[in-house]
Amino acid sequence: MKNFNWSALVLLIILLLVGVFSIYTASTTKIGDEITTENFYIRQIFWIFISLIMLYIIVRIPRQVLDVLIVPGYVLTVLMLVLVLFLPQIKGSHRWIGMGFANFQPSELAKLVTILLTAKLLSRPHQSDWQMIYSSLLVVTIPALLILIEPDLGTSLTLFVSLFAILMAGPLPKFYIVIFLSPLISIVASFSLPIFLVLLALLLWYLYNQRLGWVTMMFIGVFNTFVALISPVIWHGLKEYQQNRILTFIDPMRDPFGAGYQIIQSKIAIGSGGLWGKGFLMGTQKNLKFLPEHHTDFIFSVIGEEFGFFGCLIVLTLFFLFLFSLVRSIRKLKRNETYFASIGIVTYLAFQIFVNVGMNLGVVPTTGIPLPFISYGGSNLLINVMAVGFVLKLINERSIFG
Amino acid sequence: MFKRSTFSTILTVAITLLFLILLLALVRLQIVKGSFYQVVSQQNFVRIKTIPSVRGEIFDCNYRPIVLNVPSFNLYLRPGLIKDKERVADFVSKEFDVPLEEVSRIIINNRYRLYHDVLLVENISYEKRVRVAEKLNYFPSLSFRNETIRNYRYPNHFSGYVGKINPEELKNNDNSHYTINSHIGKTGLEKFYETALSGTPGYELLQVDAKGKNLKFLHYNLRKEPAHGANLILTIDNRLQQYVEEIFPKNLNGAVVVMDAQTGGILAYVSKPDFDPNMFVTGISVEDWNSLMQDENKPMLDRIIHGTYPPGSIFKPITATLGLEMQVIDSQTKLAECVGGLQVGNRFFKCWNHRGHGFLNVTDALKYSCDVFFYDLSTNFTLDQMRDFTKANFVTLPTGVDLIGERKGFYPTHQWYRDNYGKHVSILGLKINMSIGQGELLVTPLQMCAYFNALAHDGVWIRPHLLQKTITKDQVKLYQPEFKDLPLHRQNLELIQDALYKTVNGLHGTGGAAKVPGVDVYGKTGSAENHMGEESHAWFSGYASWEEPEISFTVFLENGGGGGRVAAPIAREIVTFYNDLKHPKAGK
Repeated sequence: MKNFNWSALVLLIILLLVGVFSIYTASTTKIGDEITTENFYIRQIFWIFISLIMLYIIVRIPRQVLDVLIVPGYVLTVLMLVLVLFLPQIKGSHRWIGMGFANFQPSELAKLVTILLTAKLLSRPHQSDWQMIYSSLLVVTIPALLILIEPDLGTSLTLFVSLFAILMAGPLPKFYIVIFLSPLISIVASFSLPIFLVLLALLLWYLYNQRLGWVTMMFIGVFNTFVALISPVIWHGLKEYQQNRILTFIDPMRDPFGAGYQIIQSKIAIGSGGLWGKGFLMGTQKNLKFLPEHHTDFIFSVIGEEFGFFGCLIVLTLFFLFLFSLVRSIRKLKRNETYFASIGIVTYLAFQIFVNVGMNLGVVPTTGIPLPFISYGGSNLLINVMAVGFVLKLINERSIFG
Repeated sequence: MFKRSTFSTILTVAITLLFLILLLALVRLQIVKGSFYQVVSQQNFVRIKTIPSVRGEIFDCNYRPIVLNVPSFNLYLRPGLIKDKERVADFVSKEFDVPLEEVSRIIINNRYRLYHDVLLVENISYEKRVRVAEKLNYFPSLSFRNETIRNYRYPNHFSGYVGKINPEELKNNDNSHYTINSHIGKTGLEKFYETALSGTPGYELLQVDAKGKNLKFLHYNLRKEPAHGANLILTIDNRLQQYVEEIFPKNLNGAVVVMDAQTGGILAYVSKPDFDPNMFVTGISVEDWNSLMQDENKPMLDRIIHGTYPPGSIFKPITATLGLEMQVIDSQTKLAECVGGLQVGNRFFKCWNHRGHGFLNVTDALKYSCDVFFYDLSTNFTLDQMRDFTKANFVTLPTGVDLIGERKGFYPTHQWYRDNYGKHVSILGLKINMSIGQGELLVTPLQMCAYFNALAHDGVWIRPHLLQKTITKDQVKLYQPEFKDLPLHRQNLELIQDALYKTVNGLHGTGGAAKVPGVDVYGKTGSAENHMGEESHAWFSGYASWEEPEISFTVFLENGGGGGRVAAPIAREIVTFYNDLKHPKAGK
């Protein structure tokens, strides 16, 4: 185990313990001298136990065994994602498969297996750039679409962000960043024709300098023009409530009785924590029940209220050191497949941390992504810890497999 | 293609930047504006206030009130402001006459709703309010509110009543609609039309600090107006309803339904004895509840749809129609001679008239209500044939009236007898009993009224209903009744109608007591033997026609005696009253 990244594992375990601690206080109500605690923290301890066992198994099991499991795992996950759409809704979406003792979220598993399969596909030799793009897009889009229908926009986005990071990390030339981002920019720019034309010209000029073929350039130009033309048409074709839904996603404050209210309450909770916080179990905002989600999506607001800036800083620092430690080790991975998979996993963890904390602070749209390792939730915790297990394994075995 | 080291640097920089964004937001919230948020959180300046929707009221066909909202002083508790639980409970219990355990229970159950007001006592009298007002200063957690309460203008069985929502109902209904203080329809129209009546509450976002300064967290849609509940306009006519209540025999239990023959709308809906729905609104006391439950006259039982009884002879038109439709008989066919009964096998089935009716055709058999004719007729059918035909006339099926908990009655199948009476049960005698509406057959008075209404209305059955229309600020929605055909041909329908006419207006017809000069009254008497008492149930069902049939009615008196003697006169008075009301010139 001379290559094992012990510091990452230790940081992970500290974060998990912070989670148990936070869940305990988040699910505790204190009025006067009466204290009641729901048993979420006990269940979380149980799940941490299971997760760490899985992590150990993943680190120890031969690589070949896991390798064989990737494709069937992916197919099985897609089937479960289809199945879940036909199951009754739980809390307003088709996300969970009820299993008696716990509800399982196939979309969590989807993140892990999709990243592993994408890494596998992209590391095959002798592929053209576009072959790689097509195959990886297909592998990601199938689960991402199914998850989007549930609806779970956050998880769906996570998949695409990870794919983008993997493509950038390795197989493709740099200018593809520009190509990938150009349609997004075109959508935004489409509301002003002159700006769009200037940007389009800049794009083509850049691609010309990258010595791209005329056919490719034509295709990209036409595609962007098409996107720019169709966006306003689609936007104005939407019903008012559909437009509102999109605007509310970008700016939750438009929905004062729903997401907006949650975010205000979250900001009040965090803000009122001040420098040192109100103290363990002393939070008052969590008692308001403005959200049924203090122990899941909005757990950071409880940490902010009770432990203040100081506490938040410690948690963010732990997360940062953890990610930093992983990125440093990943750099040394030589085989493409292991490198890509690790990049994908680290990206998705970083993205979820940022989106969740940002949502609690009111700087990122509400997406319903829990805080990795801290939020209460069985399948989320299990998959996140297993994903870390994969990275730790790949780093550990690099001397043998390169 | 980035090099490994380059890309990991890019990734590290990207992660660092994202964390810096979070850090900046954190600094802004907790350090720069920390003390501001502390004040906001302590005072709970930002919260959502529900603006309750006003529950719709209920009126009769001429907009005369049946159910209204009247002002009420209510006492509320805010658990977050309680200083001494025991003292508050003690005070409320003493001053407002509420059992101490109940107040304590409410306080304990709601101890976490710090900033929500919880309804404690409703409908406090003005005097009490004035008397208590001063003492209330010592209890900041208690406050009065001017609100409204449901008021039922007269005892009845159709309006139903509202009551405080219970935890189960709160869980099963859309949360945003109801709070722990809500009232919800528990039965009758109040429950059936709960969604329309309750409307949708509105919301207001409060974000004002102690000095009245707007904190301006949110800028849009700060108020969502409530959609008030719809008013219900019923088909009930309060004048007719009241009249039927007045003439209902004081010493008897039973039911009277009057329907509009053209629309199927119920004009009068009286089941006696009845109860005052107002008792339930603020929560019924244990003594009241016990006395209602222990009363052997069962005032809580709505005899029109919750009671099932043998119909007796008012069922005979159905048996007659089956014979006509199956072409076993025609208008002239005479069946076995009535000698005060009929010998079938080794058993003698008695006719109600022990002197006998002789040879009768179907018209006279109905007119004199001869049992033997129908005994003999029924020997031509199987039990299940008779059962299917009964159901095809929508008798022993729920009518689908807009009320809660309607019962369907009972018509046994052949199989049911085998299961309950043994494998070798002789079906013949049971079937013969059923042909005159006796035996195991059970119907509700509303089913019989709907059946006679269909006879009046050209053989088209209409789903009985109490709602005429709902009215909201923006729209008027009419009730759409459902029409279905009875399984009979026109000449057979006319034959039955003619027999019903002769029953009332012909010489020695059993329904002579229902005759009203100047009005064409049609009807059938029934005196159903039953297990409930010595006397038979008195039935009279029929309809009245001027230019066209206008009303149909069913009178049912539990153990009232003979239908022609007891029930028919009530029908006569109803028709007379209606005639004076709607056709003041006719018949005078």
